[in-house]
Amino acid sequence: MKGGIVALCCENSGWKALASLGDDPVLDGVEAVRLPCSGKAETGMMLKILEKGAAGVLVLGCPKDDCTFLRGSARAQKRVAVARAALKDAGVGEERVRMEFISSVDTPRLAEAIRAMKAALEAHEGKA
Amino acid sequence: MITAVRKPFDEIRDLVKGYDRLLILGCGTCVTVCMAGGEKEVGILASTLRLADQKDGRSREITEATIERQCDREFFDAVKEKMAAADAVLSMACGVGAQFCGEVFAGKAVLPALNTKFYGTTEGPGVWSARCSGCGTCVIADFGGICPVTRCSKSLLNGPCGGSSKGKCEVDPANIECGWQLIHDRMKLLGRLADLEAVQPLKDWSTGRDGGPGRIVKEDATL
Repeated sequence: MKGGIVALCCENSGWKALASLGDDPVLDGVEAVRLPCSGKAETGMMLKILEKGAAGVLVLGCPKDDCTFLRGSARAQKRVAVARAALKDAGVGEERVRMEFISSVDTPRLAEAIRAMKAALEAHEGKA
Repeated sequence: MITAVRKPFDEIRDLVKGYDRLLILGCGTCVTVCMAGGEKEVGILASTLRLADQKDGRSREITEATIERQCDREFFDAVKEKMAAADAVLSMACGVGAQFCGEVFAGKAVLPALNTKFYGTTEGPGVWSARCSGCGTCVIADFGGICPVTRCSKSLLNGPCGGSSKGKCEVDPANIECGWQLIHDRMKLLGRLADLEAVQPLKDWSTGRDGGPGRIVKEDATL
């Protein structure tokens, strides 16, 4: 997979879950960006990251019904949808942007989500 | 403010297909507020076009800029050099700004990235709706401050049509409130319901769009 994954992490959930993975090889090729809330992740930011060469963007926010800032995850989800629509318009795979709602302690599910995204990106790269 | 929405990406892509040096120019006023053509939207469109170009193996120079307003000449000074370096400008202003951009930089291809919609207000986050049609003769004083020309789908001045039901308009009951229901409710609130008995005369539409392109000269402001 060329370019790796940039993970835009809410510092209250995804960032902590990611930190718990320590030096797990699943994090190879994953660059984490700490945000105060996943609602800070903007559509333009996601597209710019891809434009600059990342293979994928993974937005990690709190569980939707337990968001620290109440609506941050819901906002991020809508922006992810807009980014995916833009990728579809551009003829680039929508799977290059994903969102996961993850609690700070749900490390195994985060690892699984990263593996799944890597597999999807590699499959897409193979087709392209 | 003037409201607008972005054209579908395929239409924009078709508009710019013949140009290799593109300036995407945003407007920092109305279309920034309605989130159609401000700095953020310029970035999103530029990134989407670049990703599409990368996919197609096309090498195209796309630059981005946003000026305060595209409907006033002086703000274009800030982008003169970028304008000179581009062979086309994709304007993310309203129809006024996009046209004026072409007047300021005559000879430069100026392409519209937005569809201009209406004079509207921000109802809430992400929602805008029409309030004025620019008819040139404001009548809202007779209707409790609500414009029948704009708020009634049929621009009726003498009461509602038969398509008003439960406060909604037959044109789109899910999304359009009956303008005349709004007027009735407001006049009732103001204790002025009896004023609606007055028959409104035929409206002179020549003060608006029907009178041709508008022009205002304020003599004491001219040089």
